Amino acid sequence: MTEETPYLHKTYHRSKTVAALFLCIAAFVGLMARLAYLMIFQSEYYTMKARELHERERSIKAARGRIIDANGKILADNKTVCTISVIHNQITEQEEVIAVLCKELGLSEDYVRKRVEKYSSIEKIKSNVDKSIGDAIRTYDLDGVKVDEDYKRYYPYDSLASKVLGFTGGDNQGIIGLEVIYEEYLQGESGTILTVTDAKGVEVAEAGEERIEPVDGQDLYVSLDMNIQSYATQLALQTMETKEADSVSILVMNPGNGEILAMANVPEFNLNDPYALPDTVDAGTVSEEEKQNLLNGIWRNGCINDTYEPGSTFKIITAAAGLESGAVKPTDTFNCPGYIMVEDRRIRCHKVGGHGAEDFVQATMNSCNPVFITVGMRIGVEQYYSYFKQFGLLDRTGIDLPGEAGTIMHNVENIGPVELATISFGQSFQITPIQLAVTASSIINGGRRVTPHFAVRAADSDGSNSHVFTYPVRDNVVSAETSETMRYILEQVVAEGGGKNGAVEGYRVGGKTATSQTLPRGSGKYIASFLGFAPANDPQVLAVAIINNPQGTYYGGQIAAPVVRQLFENILPYLEEMDYNRT
Amino acid sequence: MAQRSSSRRGKSNSENFMDYSLLFIVLFLLAFGLLMVYSTSYYEANLDFGDSAYYLKKQIFATILGLVAMIFVANIPYHFWERFAVIGYIVSVVLILLIIPFGHEANGAKRWLYIGPISLQPAEVAKLCMILFLASMICTMGKQIRSRKGFWMVVLVPMPIALMLWKITQNMSSAVIVVGIAVLMLFVACPDYKRFILLGLASMAGAALIVFVIVQMGQSQTENLNFRGARILAWLNPEAYADGKGFQTLQALYAIGSGGVLGKGLGDSMQKLGFLPEAQNDMIFSIICEELGLFGGYAVIIMFILLIWRFMVIANNAPDLFGALLVVGVLGHIAIQVILNIAVVTNTIPNTGISLPFISYGGSSVMFLLIEIGLVLSVARGIRLKDL
Repeated sequence: MTEETPYLHKTYHRSKTVAALFLCIAAFVGLMARLAYLMIFQSEYYTMKARELHERERSIKAARGRIIDANGKILADNKTVCTISVIHNQITEQEEVIAVLCKELGLSEDYVRKRVEKYSSIEKIKSNVDKSIGDAIRTYDLDGVKVDEDYKRYYPYDSLASKVLGFTGGDNQGIIGLEVIYEEYLQGESGTILTVTDAKGVEVAEAGEERIEPVDGQDLYVSLDMNIQSYATQLALQTMETKEADSVSILVMNPGNGEILAMANVPEFNLNDPYALPDTVDAGTVSEEEKQNLLNGIWRNGCINDTYEPGSTFKIITAAAGLESGAVKPTDTFNCPGYIMVEDRRIRCHKVGGHGAEDFVQATMNSCNPVFITVGMRIGVEQYYSYFKQFGLLDRTGIDLPGEAGTIMHNVENIGPVELATISFGQSFQITPIQLAVTASSIINGGRRVTPHFAVRAADSDGSNSHVFTYPVRDNVVSAETSETMRYILEQVVAEGGGKNGAVEGYRVGGKTATSQTLPRGSGKYIASFLGFAPANDPQVLAVAIINNPQGTYYGGQIAAPVVRQLFENILPYLEEMDYNRT
Repeated sequence: MAQRSSSRRGKSNSENFMDYSLLFIVLFLLAFGLLMVYSTSYYEANLDFGDSAYYLKKQIFATILGLVAMIFVANIPYHFWERFAVIGYIVSVVLILLIIPFGHEANGAKRWLYIGPISLQPAEVAKLCMILFLASMICTMGKQIRSRKGFWMVVLVPMPIALMLWKITQNMSSAVIVVGIAVLMLFVACPDYKRFILLGLASMAGAALIVFVIVQMGQSQTENLNFRGARILAWLNPEAYADGKGFQTLQALYAIGSGGVLGKGLGDSMQKLGFLPEAQNDMIFSIICEELGLFGGYAVIIMFILLIWRFMVIANNAPDLFGALLVVGVLGHIAIQVILNIAVVTNTIPNTGISLPFISYGGSSVMFLLIEIGLVLSVARGIRLKDL
């Protein structure tokens, strides 16, 4: 009977079905409103978010600024290199592509085939390819083969001033030296190519691309003079070989303004291959950490990263402090018996028999330790220390190279008579060569503490937008009179004293020698050094030569002074000529 | 009345109704679905299978099978199926239970049975069988439906199936649809309104309470939240869960929002290029919006409104209650599924896997939907033209 039950309740069934329909329609209308909200009012927001998601940025490298020496010679340049890659799904003639790439790039067929057949968005075949080869590949006009030009840092003089210039890493970023300090000028701004890609990063060709052109880096003009630097390097190498020294540093600067003309630290390294280990090291056996330590050692700039006991060259500072404080006058006379008693210690002079009676100028010429200890004692700890501060000896020089080491000096409260005595002739503390050079500069240049530097200006490659670097200068570090007296005394040192091997015929040269034993005492290792400047009456150039652990004769006056002499013999005429040309 | 209804069955079909409007709407949706399946899937299909028409071909095959099944069912008087109502219910239970040992996993959920080369979702079978079973049961109950006992029987009968779908196949949306179908059929069969309004209010209050509790828990400890708890938090703030549960929703919103009023143009969706997971499947509506804009989205919704309007017309003119209830069941199934799908895609409700009828990629879904359309057409054929 169920089947035959009359369909009695059709009316309310009907109205209920209609109600169900309207319920559904109500839901649909709600969803339509939601859609309208999303697609009209929120559209802008989601469109922006979606764009961010779909757009990929490909950067276009900016050419890194060059580094140019005082004479316009390019010390660091860029070489155009090419990166060859293939895009699998754009390749039409696969066999030809493989054949051409093998031939032009000198790669094995297996290697190329694997990459050409690989299903990926873009597959790199080879980078750092010479531009000529890249151009050659381009002339084949093969579908799916991309030749992208790129810049690679290139140093025309290989190892010249390697520890000063520094080198760049894979992203063209500075790693050490001037390259890292002047990164913001040299780097430029990379441009971008905005492309639309799918979720895997494959470009969607129809969408086209937007370009933002790169801004090339600025050229950096430095005070370094390639000619002086080459000669200094040559001299340093020669000295290192003849004296069988561990290393030799030669620093040449203008004491009047702090510009550094040369800074050679041999052994240097090849900037075009900075990660090469010395032949003596078997690259296979060293761990990554050892390798990094070795490289850090190779890259160290001895003039600024390392400190040493300056020895007798520091007597320049003691003398200046003594003169400035009035503790000593050039005419004061002393007697050197060959030693001096400080408390219960007997400190010997380097001349065993003693220098006998001598005035202060003669004592400096003789580099007489007892006299300088006496002067140090007369100045007194507090005053002596305050002169260190005044001379800027306790601060870093502020040179525009990374990793400058600070001065290692006793705390003032720990300086007893023995410490005072040893400080007076340059022992028991450590400073960097650059600190010595700059402090000596300020003493002989009339009392102006200059900031040593390389960078003179930065400018766009066409010379526009020039930015001239300025450096702090502190006046009245010593009085003009003291400065003049010091120039006189130091000229006497070279003319007739311990520095006579530094004399250059026809030029007035001032200077001071030093021989210091390295720590630990008794190791038999010495550092021979000489600081010289010329002309002595109006210093235009100051040079420091430091010979680390020479074999045989190790006296600064005998082996370091001749180095500076040779340097001056060559560069003084050259510098005069330069000045002549400039005016 | 009795005479009329008995004489009706003797008439030849030519005097009876063939709902071409319904047929046209369904064919339109199928064609549009194939177009969109191709548009959303060709890129990924090309990458994954080297054949941009990979999904399209499979879908065309399923559609053709479905259309054959639809024609077959449409030509069988629908009362033929009444005798299978109880067997259908049992088959549903068995198929769902078979998932436990034999189920195939895809996209992290075990929902498929493989019978030879054919994959089958027991959930689809269960929805169809539930419509048949409830229609038959309500007719058998007659006036009893008006009693409280009758009411609760209809509410409780689909519950075992719904619970099994939820717990065994991890498919809450199918469970909701099964319950929804039952409630809608009951609503039509029962003259009462009050109980349904109370039921509606109670479920809304329950849902609000669950959301509130989960939000409170989410603030204190996120790790203890299960799968669905995290989904609810992701629903409330998809951008905060952009790397996890909110990812798909957010990608869908990017697609919909970036479509704007007029869309990017057919085939020009960006989000389908691997950004939006399941672009050709559950998320197809968002790509429709991205490519065809607000107008395209509205057009699809209007087509579905027309479809359920045809269902209503057929249900209200059905020769008997059984036919009417079958159509109401199909109406409920399709309407609920479309509403839930669009609500998920637009982040109106928490994300749950649910496909868009006739349009989403999915062979078993489209085949069973076409069988249901066949049933509706069969009911429609029972209508005499002069009754309209």
